[in-house]
Amino acid sequence: MKSSVLQSFLSETGDIARFTGRFFVEVFKPRYEFVELLRQCFFIGYKSLPLVAITAFIMGLVITIQSRPTLVEFGAEAWLPKMVSVSLVREIAPVITALICAGKIGSGIGAELGSMKVTEQIDAMDVSGTNPYKFLVVTRVMATTFMIPILAVLADAISLYGGYLGTNIRGVCSWDLYWNQVFDTLTYGDVIPSIAKTFLFGFAIGIIGCYKGFYSNKGTEGVGQSANSAVVISSLLVFILDLLAVQITDLLNLT
Amino acid sequence: MIEKTNSNIIENALSDNESVIEIKNVFKSFGENQVLRDFSFNLKQGENVVVLGKSGSGKSVLIKCIIGLIKPDSGTIKVFGQNIPDLNREELDKIRVKVGFLFQSNALYDSMTVRENLEFPLRRHSIKTTKEQEYSLIVEALTNVGLADTIDKMPSELSGGMKKRIALARTLILKPDIILYDEPTTGLDPITGKEISNLMNELAKKYNTSAIIISHDLNCVKIVAQKIVMLIDGKCYAQGTYDELKNSTDLKIRHFFE
Repeated sequence: MKSSVLQSFLSETGDIARFTGRFFVEVFKPRYEFVELLRQCFFIGYKSLPLVAITAFIMGLVITIQSRPTLVEFGAEAWLPKMVSVSLVREIAPVITALICAGKIGSGIGAELGSMKVTEQIDAMDVSGTNPYKFLVVTRVMATTFMIPILAVLADAISLYGGYLGTNIRGVCSWDLYWNQVFDTLTYGDVIPSIAKTFLFGFAIGIIGCYKGFYSNKGTEGVGQSANSAVVISSLLVFILDLLAVQITDLLNLT
Repeated sequence: MIEKTNSNIIENALSDNESVIEIKNVFKSFGENQVLRDFSFNLKQGENVVVLGKSGSGKSVLIKCIIGLIKPDSGTIKVFGQNIPDLNREELDKIRVKVGFLFQSNALYDSMTVRENLEFPLRRHSIKTTKEQEYSLIVEALTNVGLADTIDKMPSELSGGMKKRIALARTLILKPDIILYDEPTTGLDPITGKEISNLMNELAKKYNTSAIIISHDLNCVKIVAQKIVMLIDGKCYAQGTYDELKNSTDLKIRHFFE
């Protein structure tokens, strides 16, 4: 029993690795699907913006309100913008953005490609002179890889604004003072690694969603399972990649 | 007269220059399930052949092997003289312009309108047409299937029979020489099924196409089949006309017509 679970885990990991390897082969070969890439960027980036924005705003607000009592206890209330900005920019905004996207985009891609597979639309593309991997997978993975970092940067800004409002609920901090403290605290070592890791998050979300959809089993049950496992695996991968990225940043003394 | 498949018949068939599809000794298995076992058959120019067999007997696998969606384990599948398993993607795409495929589930793209569905193969096969020519080809294809007024509708707004007609229009838009039909009347009521079968005959005459039709529907088979190939135990068990096979004394064959 245990060996069969291990075997299927290793087998699936191998399949995902092969699927990912194919991406790097196909991405450089013509024909380039620019129109489809732009369409996917619109759906993945623009259409996810409201959800990411609301979540980031609430996280900024809540983290600030929750952190305040501890800092007040130490008489360090003035440090609130500094502490909150580092937490938000380095960790909370990128990871929350990635998790929201894993849920919204990962499941969407898994379900869309899964239903296309089940209804033979992927085969129909193949016989219509289209490489389905290039048209469906490469464009979606590129779109998630480039859009999620943009969403994360916007989430940084919006969550910091939430932090500003949170600071002013119980205390008083002027607009200028808040932003001066934020920008005095943040260094390139905080911002660049946090943005860099969102490219990895985006790639992982796209590739897992596409893999699960592309190899969906026949039937509507298979489509549901594809969407579900796309979310579960990509969310887990976001945390694993975050852990690795933080370790690497730490080892390179970029913190 | 029913032809029982044997090596002599295969040799004779393959030497025939009129054959547009020549399948010889094809084997295909999925894991331990051997679907096609030494299957051989050929399709002549202008012929409508129905492949009849039980569910899961490998009929769909056979036509997917012909179009290059599935690679056989061994054997040759020559379409217009080119062996499909040996072709690369670009060569396969050139063949696919000449070979249309009507999917069992229609495979219309849900996110596109009827017009975009029909434009897709034209644009993707890089067929050089002006916007006006493209539009007139789309209108012609839709008029052929009697649905010119659905051009701006989404597939979700269409009935089962209409979807099948649109899928047929999409298959025909490239004016293929061969059409592969995967269960064209499955899921349709008998009247719509008959309409689709008659439409297939009309279009075959109009465009002088050859066709391989996978079907269980005997009403459809009776209308469209010039010849029937029985796919039993992964082999081309027998071939003949509808009446020849219906009157066969072989129980395996008669079973399908009872």
